[in-house]
Amino acid sequence: MKPNCRRICDLLTQYADGTLPEAQQGEVQRHLDACPPCRVIAGKECGARQLLRASADRLRAEPLPPGLRTRCQALSAGQGMARRWLRPSIRFAIAAMLIIFVGALLSIVTRQSDALLAAQLTADHVKCFGLFRPAEGTRMDAAQAQRMLVERFGLDVHVPPSSTEGSVDLLNARRCLYADGRIPHLMYEANGQDMSLFVLEGESRAPAEFTAFGHHTRIWSRGGNTFVLITPKADESVAAAARYVAAEAH
Amino acid sequence: MFGRSSSAPSNAEDFSAEALTFLEPLFATAMRLTRNRADAEDLVQDTFVKAFRHSGQFKRGTNLRAWLYTILHNTWRNRRRDASRDAVEVDSEQVEQAAEGAGGSEPVDTPERILMRSTLDADLQAALDELPDAFRQAVWLRDVEEFTYAEIAEMLNVPIGTVMSRISRGRRMLFEKLSSAPDARVLPVAADAAGSRR
Repeated sequence: MKPNCRRICDLLTQYADGTLPEAQQGEVQRHLDACPPCRVIAGKECGARQLLRASADRLRAEPLPPGLRTRCQALSAGQGMARRWLRPSIRFAIAAMLIIFVGALLSIVTRQSDALLAAQLTADHVKCFGLFRPAEGTRMDAAQAQRMLVERFGLDVHVPPSSTEGSVDLLNARRCLYADGRIPHLMYEANGQDMSLFVLEGESRAPAEFTAFGHHTRIWSRGGNTFVLITPKADESVAAAARYVAAEAH
Repeated sequence: MFGRSSSAPSNAEDFSAEALTFLEPLFATAMRLTRNRADAEDLVQDTFVKAFRHSGQFKRGTNLRAWLYTILHNTWRNRRRDASRDAVEVDSEQVEQAAEGAGGSEPVDTPERILMRSTLDADLQAALDELPDAFRQAVWLRDVEEFTYAEIAEMLNVPIGTVMSRISRGRRMLFEKLSSAPDARVLPVAADAAGSRR
């Protein structure tokens, strides 16, 4: 290999790509005309590039695994949802903090009012459905939820099971963040809407109804326990579901 | 289209829609990196998770396709590094030395006698997959994806000179693999390619 060949070889990639300045392209061309070994190397580089360019569209069209596109689209929608969800959630967080602060003040002078309880549990309802919404299609067995209430809270409560009456589905049962986790929170879907049933042990309150933060709260006591049911505000589509749960829970 | 303002939701949607148009070639590239459909799928999903999460960092007016490929390659490098510390560096150093040696001892043929064999796409893919990783990545990004040397240098996190030498060696190795494939059919394409410039 002549001394010049090494230099020319270094230019062959750009020569094959056609990215050399015109003067250098000509210089390489003249060298290749006179130098068979370099011509062999150039032939390989140009040949491989030509073949790849000719096959590029087919090489890039790798069949996608089923569902990959849908999952990636969902990832993008998820980011959008997270952003959209964040703003109302911040409003609720501020509202909930204010309520708790005001509640602390009020509790100094008087027993927490029903309205305050309704507002606090509404904030909890929104927070729980925002943070802990079960996966689509998840259902919970009422008997399992009842066992949980006995084991974790020592509460013997009849949990209204999923029912076609009012299109009610029991989604999940969890410990409510409110009141140091002493209150069980039953998460329902009623006719496609979020619905929560909270159970407060050993309290007896007069029946009451409130509207706070765009949600409707119904409070009643039965068998020594107090139930708090939260549904989207004055929504007729959940009225039947609310009646069903109110009748069933005891 | 997506770069004018990064905050409006409609632009976020434009960004996502535009990014998703590159799904197929990104998956094909991931296949050449991982050589395994399950890993490629995982890698592509990870790439989109990062792209959507960091969409605010994408500089308006720059090339979204190149940006996505950079994320894909960075993600892949990090995985390899996690899997085996420094494996990537050792690997690419070794293959570059190996290629140097192989190139020198290669019996030299005359251009007139070199015949390019046409090959089925599957053979071409198989030959690409046989290339050492560092060379396959460089050749793929240049000849299949048509990125510039500078873009490839950023994606692979190596200097431009290294990119060019990897492309060069990768192409020669690929050509040699194809011309020695036992079932390759004889077709005088490369003789043409070299000859037409004389």
